[in-house]
Amino acid sequence: MSLALQVVVTGLGAGGVYGLVAIGHTLIYRLTGILHFALGDLIGLGVFSTLLVAAGTGAVAQPSVGASRFVVALAVGLAVCAAASAGSYVYAIQPYVTRGWTLGWAAATVAVAFAIRTTLQAVFSRSAYVFPDPLPFRRIGREGFVTVAGASIQVRTFYVIALSIAIAALATLTLERTRFGRALQAVAADAEGARIVGIPVERYIALAFAAAGAVAAIAAVAAAPSAPFDVGAGTLLGLKGLVAALLVRFGSPIAAFAAGLFVGVLESAAAGLVVYGHQLGPQWRDVVPLALALLLLFARRPRFAELVE
Amino acid sequence: MSAAPRALSRTRAEVAAGARELARAWRPSATIVAACIAAAALVPPALGSLVRLDALAATLYLGVAALGLGLTVGRAGIPSLAQGAFMAIGAFVAAAIRDGDHASVLVAAIAGAAAAGAAGAVSGAGIVRLRPVFVAVGTWILSWLVAFALLSFPSLSGGVEGRPVPQGELAGIALTPRAHYELALALVVLVAGAVALLGRGAFGIRLAAARDHTGAALALGIRVVRLRVAAFAVSAAVAGLAGALAVQLARVADPTAYGAFLSFQLLVAVLLGGAAATLGPLAGVLALSGISLAARVVLLGASGERWNPMLAALLLVVVLSAGGAGIVPWARALDRRLRPGAPRSRAPRTPRATPRPKPIDGVKLEADALTKRYGALAALDDVSFALAAGSVNALVGPNGSGKTTALRLLAGTQRPDAGTVLLDGRDVTSLPTSARVELGVVRTLQAAGSFRELTALEHVLAGSALRRGYAGPLRTVARTPLARTEEKEATERALDVLAFLGLEAAANVRAGELSGFEQRLLMLAAALGTEPRVLLLDEPAAGAAATDLPRLARIVESIHERGITILLVEHDLRLVRSVAARVLVLDAGRLIADGSPSEVSREPAVRAAYLGRRSLA
Repeated sequence: MSLALQVVVTGLGAGGVYGLVAIGHTLIYRLTGILHFALGDLIGLGVFSTLLVAAGTGAVAQPSVGASRFVVALAVGLAVCAAASAGSYVYAIQPYVTRGWTLGWAAATVAVAFAIRTTLQAVFSRSAYVFPDPLPFRRIGREGFVTVAGASIQVRTFYVIALSIAIAALATLTLERTRFGRALQAVAADAEGARIVGIPVERYIALAFAAAGAVAAIAAVAAAPSAPFDVGAGTLLGLKGLVAALLVRFGSPIAAFAAGLFVGVLESAAAGLVVYGHQLGPQWRDVVPLALALLLLFARRPRFAELVE
Repeated sequence: MSAAPRALSRTRAEVAAGARELARAWRPSATIVAACIAAAALVPPALGSLVRLDALAATLYLGVAALGLGLTVGRAGIPSLAQGAFMAIGAFVAAAIRDGDHASVLVAAIAGAAAAGAAGAVSGAGIVRLRPVFVAVGTWILSWLVAFALLSFPSLSGGVEGRPVPQGELAGIALTPRAHYELALALVVLVAGAVALLGRGAFGIRLAAARDHTGAALALGIRVVRLRVAAFAVSAAVAGLAGALAVQLARVADPTAYGAFLSFQLLVAVLLGGAAATLGPLAGVLALSGISLAARVVLLGASGERWNPMLAALLLVVVLSAGGAGIVPWARALDRRLRPGAPRSRAPRTPRATPRPKPIDGVKLEADALTKRYGALAALDDVSFALAAGSVNALVGPNGSGKTTALRLLAGTQRPDAGTVLLDGRDVTSLPTSARVELGVVRTLQAAGSFRELTALEHVLAGSALRRGYAGPLRTVARTPLARTEEKEATERALDVLAFLGLEAAANVRAGELSGFEQRLLMLAAALGTEPRVLLLDEPAAGAAATDLPRLARIVESIHERGITILLVEHDLRLVRSVAARVLVLDAGRLIADGSPSEVSREPAVRAAYLGRRSLA
């Protein structure tokens, strides 16, 4: 029982971030009809830019960064992430989407992913980084851990979950209630019609890309101090978010967020899953969600002949 | 004469015929390729310690995998981001089999290729029927899945250290770097040849047709999914073979070398070299390695290898922003510009006598109480008619009256909700399009355009492929005598079809360079290539200039003279009146009139529904 609780809470903590990435993927897919393979790396770029400004590239002790410097660092990190994300749309995606050339945007977004990763690896050459934490969670409980119903849980996990839910709610409200959000929905429904009624379609899509990256990056920065973090972590976030978005077939943002939570719990639970009397173990946590997404994709059988004419 | 000498003399004749064929097909570019192969075989080994043969061999193995990917990306148009994953499967299966040196290199290589091919067939069956966006997503996820599986399961991959592979030998020759280099070079030549033959043969023509216009390809009876799965599996097997030999060369199967970056690198190589050219992917791999090596020597020093992803990304950006054609197509275009007089393809064929097409037994096609509903709307409501063998019939009606739906039901693209389709008295309602095309019912699509990248001749060959018995991938690559004879006959027949339509001069011209009307005729040519007994034409005159109509009418007339049963959906009533003996009128899914053009035009119901106050006359 206590183990199950621990698995679920840990999973929700990771899943909250996946959920926000999934919202980003969903937004991008609905607006442009494509998927951004570099979204995770863009988020990683935001996280590492924050780290660079907050603490440089050396070894970091968690409490070492003051709040004011951290706020500046976060602002820089988010700005870098948003700018790079919007830029990736303008230069690496939009030209090929206009031409309807799948190979073009697919290859270009993967190129962006590897370019970011290579750059980060050159600057941050250590195998793992501890992220500074401006919030004093470690003073709560025993070194930041509390015991709930027999399960030992990191306090900041609750904070990450709450923050993710708040951001997801805010994102949904923005899409539903604001002028900008409704304009984006109009673009998603009918880009040509939106253009005719005077919505600056390309600029709004670029803004949505920026938001998709930055919103997920906030949650990623919030979650980063929970565990050591490496350059590949952003890529993983992007993939898990993609899996979540695929699970709900790019439905509503709320569905995408819920799917993200599910993927988080699934991978957290995968280690404990028992298949044919055989416990799977922690090595399955990355493989299971990807395999599930692939199977779901394959199960989706459009009636081919009618689809193409 | 006993069996052995007879076989010997036959073999000798075959070899001589093959040599003659080769001599005829020989072009200046072939000289260049042959010179390159000879230089590659002789020069690097002679340079001794100046070159690292093992690095060259590794590059060539990568080139083999890229050549395989070229078939998927180029001919089939499948945007695959998973070629590295198939290479990984081949590599680790081979490494596992070679563990402890119990099995030979040959066995390991074959097993690696087979495992990757099987993985390609299974995943391909799921992937190739998706929309291109999700093909990219699916292959990208597959690529990461394999990468994570290797990193997460040290028992499979040997963990960070990788899986050691013992030194081996092939056919009694120790696999030194030099032996590997020669083996890799031979493999490159073989795979490039096989990919070229596959691409040019009926297999590749049909793949390209499905790539350029999937709907029209399906209407020709091409089994698009099956064909694409085959292409995907073949290219996966090639990657598996390359992976199996690459780990034998490296003497270790290193999981970090088979991540998603490998897939990306291979895709960049294909785009860089040019997916449209057989040798493009190889040129891309060589260019990528060459530039990477130069960058390390000049700029980055020994640790520069970690910048390889950045370099690949930058090169991709360059090739994409330059239009994405790639090195080999650019070189060809440059060559054409520098030598404008040079022939672009083989010399034009000698003029042919106008063929006397053999008559065909048209058959009777019946629709019996056909009904098709979309929700509450009945697109076709209890429609029955019988088309007599060899007759020309027109199906007319206002927009949305169900004409195209009727053709789809007759051709098998859609199934009726009720009613039956009878071909020569046989119930074919449950047969798919491909089976009906085999039986002789073929449909051309409304406003179909053409298979842009195919030549006029290839359009007909795309249609006629299903009448051929020896055009499968294996026979195409092996160039068996039967396959060669059949191909020659198929080409002759296809030229006859083009001559029949007055398109012979365009035989070797790509469809994209022809006029809109000629492109429409090409789709008709492809349909005639299937040797139909019933031809369903969906608005052949749509968009045709007034001056083209008499030509179209003559063509329909001459198809009729051959005996083929024709059903024509057409808005242009001049064409209908000039060719059709019988007119069927649909309105809101119901058949409201049926008779000769003049009879139908007198029907008050027809005037009211279709013609308004104007009369046909």
